[in-house]
Amino acid sequence: MPEEGKMPALKEYISHKGFLHHEDIPDYILCKPRLMPLKSVTLEKLENMQKQAEEKMKRQHMNVQKS
Amino acid sequence: MDPFYAALSFYRRLKYEECAAVCTELLEKSPYDQAVWTLKMKAVTEQVYVDDIEAEEEGIAEALMDNDTMAQVARPGTSLRTPSTEKGGPNQGLRPRTQTGRPLSGVVRPATQSGRPGTMEQALRTPRTARTARPVTSQSARSVRLGTASMLTESGGPFIQLSRLNLGKYAAQGNIAKPLFEYIFYHENDIRHAMELAVQATQACQFKDWWWKVQLGKCYFTLGLIRDAEQQFRSALKQNQKVEIFLRLARVYIRLDQPLSALDVCKTGLEYFPGEVTLTTEIARLFEGLNNIPTSIKYYRDVLKEDSTHVEAIACIGMQHFYTDQPEISLRFYRRLLQMGIYNAELFNNLGLCCFYAQQYDMTLTCFEQALSLASEEAVADVWYNIAHVAIGVGDCNLAMQCLRLCLSADSNHASAYNNLGMLEMRLGHRDQARAFFQAAGSLAPYLFEPHHNYAKLAEEMGDLQTSYIVIQKALQAYPSHVSSQELLQKLQKHFAFM
Repeated sequence: MPEEGKMPALKEYISHKGFLHHEDIPDYILCKPRLMPLKSVTLEKLENMQKQAEEKMKRQHMNVQKS
Repeated sequence: MDPFYAALSFYRRLKYEECAAVCTELLEKSPYDQAVWTLKMKAVTEQVYVDDIEAEEEGIAEALMDNDTMAQVARPGTSLRTPSTEKGGPNQGLRPRTQTGRPLSGVVRPATQSGRPGTMEQALRTPRTARTARPVTSQSARSVRLGTASMLTESGGPFIQLSRLNLGKYAAQGNIAKPLFEYIFYHENDIRHAMELAVQATQACQFKDWWWKVQLGKCYFTLGLIRDAEQQFRSALKQNQKVEIFLRLARVYIRLDQPLSALDVCKTGLEYFPGEVTLTTEIARLFEGLNNIPTSIKYYRDVLKEDSTHVEAIACIGMQHFYTDQPEISLRFYRRLLQMGIYNAELFNNLGLCCFYAQQYDMTLTCFEQALSLASEEAVADVWYNIAHVAIGVGDCNLAMQCLRLCLSADSNHASAYNNLGMLEMRLGHRDQARAFFQAAGSLAPYLFEPHHNYAKLAEEMGDLQTSYIVIQKALQAYPSHVSSQELLQKLQKHFAFM
């Protein structure tokens, strides 16, 4: 056993296997992936109807211009 | 064959255009044949009929300039406008927000498409983006456009000249008055005339017919006389309990921004009709609006117990699983939707994302390819945005940047894409470009905390502490419990105090 006062300085030991301490370093953040909401049946029907109505109007407009 | 019989047959087989054509011929021969007249009314109405409980839309005028607001600053959990910050709500760090700042929902409906904006400024800004054209008032919404469009295409003027119609005469004849009302309400979209007819018809049947009361309530509701509508629906409920009336009454309370009363109405309805799917769905939507997603999901599960093919319930539960770190379960729900015959870009995009995060890499790209081939112009931006995520996941920075640029070329207002592009530029060491992208994202979407956080962090690194301090506060406004932003703010505050 070494004498008092002559004790060698203990060196700290940090294990490299597994985490002892983890510092969270803030980083830039990505926006998250977006799942796309499905369209409800009513919404699809509305959009279809609107499209059809617009096409009808266009056709009529063309007919009026021709005649 | 008797042409009238043929017309009836067409009507029964849902061939409304043919039915209307036959009726028109018949009416030319005998203009006063009421049976043919009524049949044509019904056929023409059916052509443009949409479920108006579902199709309801709120315009800017209703949302912001209503007189029925009870309190400007409602208590938390009692208003749909100020979503509560209670725990159990979706974590903003995980579940992205829509343009109006609400958590993403599994399904878009006409009503959720616009959502309730918080301020006038936000409301006026939203329609400017190409994605959500918010109508100015609900009366100028789709319904009117549909109405006028269908009138224009009528050869030889409109079918019925409403101004010349003797409403009093028809109001007394129950079997004609009802189809006539529906024709005026749905096809002509002339609410004033429809209401006149409803008023006279209710009087004619001495206020004993609940159907007319509901129709009157519908007219009041469309005209924005919400309290009168409530009265009519309540009175109708006393006479007869129907699911439709409960739903409409609940909608009245939603318009008045009293979600708790709406919940009460739905629950009363469920006592009369236990397990009714539409009422349960309404409750689930209300909880979603109140930011209480777990309860909402519980009700959606109840819906699925009754109706295992309910698209909205499946989609909402699937989305919830995805954003609570269970993509493989989410994948099951979306696959179920595919089995049910839904075949569109949105679904394939979701399947692709779920596959990627559930580590089924073989399916991911195929799904996205399919999504791209099916996507409409509006949807294609989001698909590219998600493919960029896959590319970032596998470490292909170039592909990710290309995808994000394609996304921005399809939708130049895609704030999340700007943010991610900024982050990629940051990785390459292009600080100035990154800053520009973060700034663009932040100004396009103040409700996202990511671009604000990133911009603040970048500014702090570059030594621009003042800007960093201002911007990080915006990030915390959007997401108050974000730890990284809080730490940055504390650091800056300490620094300023030290000076």
